[in-house]
Order: sequence, then structure tokens, then C-alpha cells
Amino acid sequence: MTLPALDPLLHQPARTQLVAYLSARGETTFSELKRVLGVTDGNLGAHLSKLVEAGYVATSEMEHGRRSQTAYTLTPAGRIALNEYVARLSALMTLSVDGEVAGDASFPTDGHPVS
Amino acid sequence: MSPDDRLQDIRSMLAAGHRCVHLERSTLLLLGGVGGFLSVVTEWVITDTRFPDLGTRGMALLIWLAFWLGGVSLLEHRLTRRARERRAETLPFAQAQVTRAWWMLLSVGCLGSFAMFFYGGGSMIYTLWTVLLGLGVYFFGLFSRPLIEWIGLAIILLGVAALAAGLPYGGTRWLAASAFALGLPLAGWLNSRVGDAGMHQRTLALGLWLVLVVTPALLMARSNHTPPPAAPPLALGAQALGSGEQVLRLEVGTPIPLRLDLDSLFLQAPSHAELAMTLAMPVEVALSDGNPDGRYRFGDGQWRDIRDGLLQLRIDRLRGRLEDGRPVVRAHARLDSQDFTGGDQ
Repeated sequence: MTLPALDPLLHQPARTQLVAYLSARGETTFSELKRVLGVTDGNLGAHLSKLVEAGYVATSEMEHGRRSQTAYTLTPAGRIALNEYVARLSALMTLSVDGEVAGDASFPTDGHPVS
Repeated sequence: MSPDDRLQDIRSMLAAGHRCVHLERSTLLLLGGVGGFLSVVTEWVITDTRFPDLGTRGMALLIWLAFWLGGVSLLEHRLTRRARERRAETLPFAQAQVTRAWWMLLSVGCLGSFAMFFYGGGSMIYTLWTVLLGLGVYFFGLFSRPLIEWIGLAIILLGVAALAAGLPYGGTRWLAASAFALGLPLAGWLNSRVGDAGMHQRTLALGLWLVLVVTPALLMARSNHTPPPAAPPLALGAQALGSGEQVLRLEVGTPIPLRLDLDSLFLQAPSHAELAMTLAMPVEVALSDGNPDGRYRFGDGQWRDIRDGLLQLRIDRLRGRLEDGRPVVRAHARLDSQDFTGGDQ
């Protein structure tokens, strides 16, 4: 039996949360993401860069009075990736309930290391 | 982390993203303060002595409410945007939409208050505002934390319960004032402490909110006694009515004719037309410079003010019929005081 492969980019707790939040919230600033996820600037910046590189998240500049802010939105590709990730997780969970998957270590991730 | 935990994580972040509307402290204080202020002082500003004509009075109320509520809505909108900018956050789409719905509810309240001058239902005016406030808070709550949603629902139910329980007009007024002035800031305070807590703590917070909002309203309604006049009662015709404060005692059987002043295109009534009525129980009426000042009491009961809204006249049937071959209009009306029908004041 072939286990459904998980997107390695999304298979990281902070990035999963980030993409899920963006999916529901819409356009969001760095400060808000930092507050909601409770991560450091560096950590959040690194995760966002990876998602932007993969085309899952798009950036735009917003004027906040005299200041300029970068706003982040989930792209259609990011939304599709999240939906697929959730579908595959659900499938894995069904298998897990049936006793075919033991735990996290056996999650297949398209052959890429999770970082 | 199991797939179940990950899915749970995703669900909670989706919920956080959907429920991202945040009611600023300035919003709660401003709307609560202005709503409470309007509930208390509007009756002292828009009076029938200041605006004797009904249409003018209705228009004055509309302008008064639109000025305060329009002003506070604009100010609140600016302050909310500024607070979001200060925190470098975007205004969620849901918040912009709910704010529009909130403005719509305020407009409905203003127009409803205006319409009551012409179409009746004035005794429900504060209940209307309480229910509209509840709806507004509930809409915000749908996209904010569940406690706000519960409080919105509680305000709606309070308004409906007040009406169903026959709370006197004065009581509904204090309830509306309390729901605005105490309820909104208190909702914000409780939400910041137990907004994300479990069902048990949320239920306790809601209970505390109800006690702290309803108790002052009921106490105010109860303590809002009409001051009794100092003058001793005079019998009708016993002494010439003079200046200053006097009390007129009307005994059982005193004729109180109802004079009809009818404006109609198709019916005419003579200017002296009157319905002969007599008092069924003694009444004392306070006079100021020979004219009733609005204070009255039945027998030796408690003094009331006509503006308390305890006297209610309902014309529930008005039918044209033929009696002995003559056309007749029969009206059935009910004039009651909540002194006798169990209303609590």
C-alpha cells in the first residue's frame, strides 16, 4: 500500500500554522504573524522566505501613515498546497486509525528532508 | 506530532484567522459611554415643552441621535484604524464588513426611534435599542472571541425578557443605559481575561457580566422614586387654585370627561364633543401654578410621574357596525397602570 506523500515545505509546525492562519485571515503584516505565532523575527523571516520562494505566499507593500509595511497573502498555489496537505494528513489519520501507520517518524515527505 | 495533532493545529489557526476581529478598548468605551449618555439624557433634552409639535419633536430626536451616534461612529472608526496601524496590523475584511453592519443597526435604531413618534410603539424604544446593541455585539462576536458572541446573545435576550416580563418603561431605559455604559466596557475587560478560556470560565464570566449589568439597572429603576409634593391635598372646588405647588384630590365618582379633538377629512366632531367618564378610585394630582405637573398617585399609593410610562392606553379594537339601523363606530380601549397590573418600579 502506498502512503500519501506530504509536502515537505508545509510539513513543519510553524509553517503549517503560518499558512493556515494566512488562509483564513487574508492579508496580514509581519507584526501580526509574529504576535499570533509567538516566534522570533529571525525565525518568522526564514519561514516566510521559504514560502515566498516556493510561490505559496506573496508580498506587497502597504502604506501605514508614514511607514511602509510588507503584507503577506496566501497565493492560489499556497491554498491548493494547504488543501492537499490537509487531505493527505486526513488520509494518513484514517490509515493511522486502521493501525497501518505507527507515528510521526514514518510520515512520507516526497523524499525531501524536512527543515 | 501525530496527524491528528497537526490537523488540530491547522484547525485552531484557521479559527484564529477567521476570528481576527478585535474590538478596541476605545470602541467599547466610546460606544458604551455615548449609548449610556443618550439613554439617560435624551428624555430630558427632547421634551414636549421644548418641541410641542410631534413632527418637530421627532425630527429633533433624529438629529440629536444622528449627531451623537454618527459622530461617535466616525471617531471610533478612525481610532480603530489608528490602533491597528500602531500595531502594524491590517484591518481584517470581516471587521470592515461587521462595522458596516453595526452602522446599519445604528441607522435602524435612529429611524425606528423617529418612526415611533408617528406609528406608535414608543414604550418599546429602549428595548429596541437594547436588542439592536445585542445584535451588533453578536455580529462582532461571530468574528471575534466566543465570549463576545455570548454577551451579544445575552443582551438580545435581556431586551426580549424585559419586554415579555412587562418591565416598566423606566426600567427598560435603565437597562439600555446599563447595557451600553457598563456592559460594553465590561465585555471588553472580561474578554481580555477569559476570552480564550474554556467553557466553564466563559460561563462564569457571562454570569458575572449579567449580574454587574442587570443589578444596577434594576436598582436605579427601583430607586427612581417621584418626589412627593409637600403641599396638603385640596378637594376639588374647595379653594381657588393659586400659584406654586398644590395637590388636588379627586374623589371616586368625580366626572373626568374625555374631550375629543378629531382631525379628519371624512368625519367631523363638534368641538364640545366629550365622553362622560367618572373616577373609579381616588386620585391625587400635583399642580404647578394651577396646571398638572405630571405627578399623580392612586389613593394613598406611591407618587408617580406620568413620564415613567406606568400608565398605558391601548386601543385594541375600532370597528364600524350597524346598531338599530344606525352606523356606529365602537372602540375598545384599555387604560391600565402597572401599579395594578404587577409591573415593578
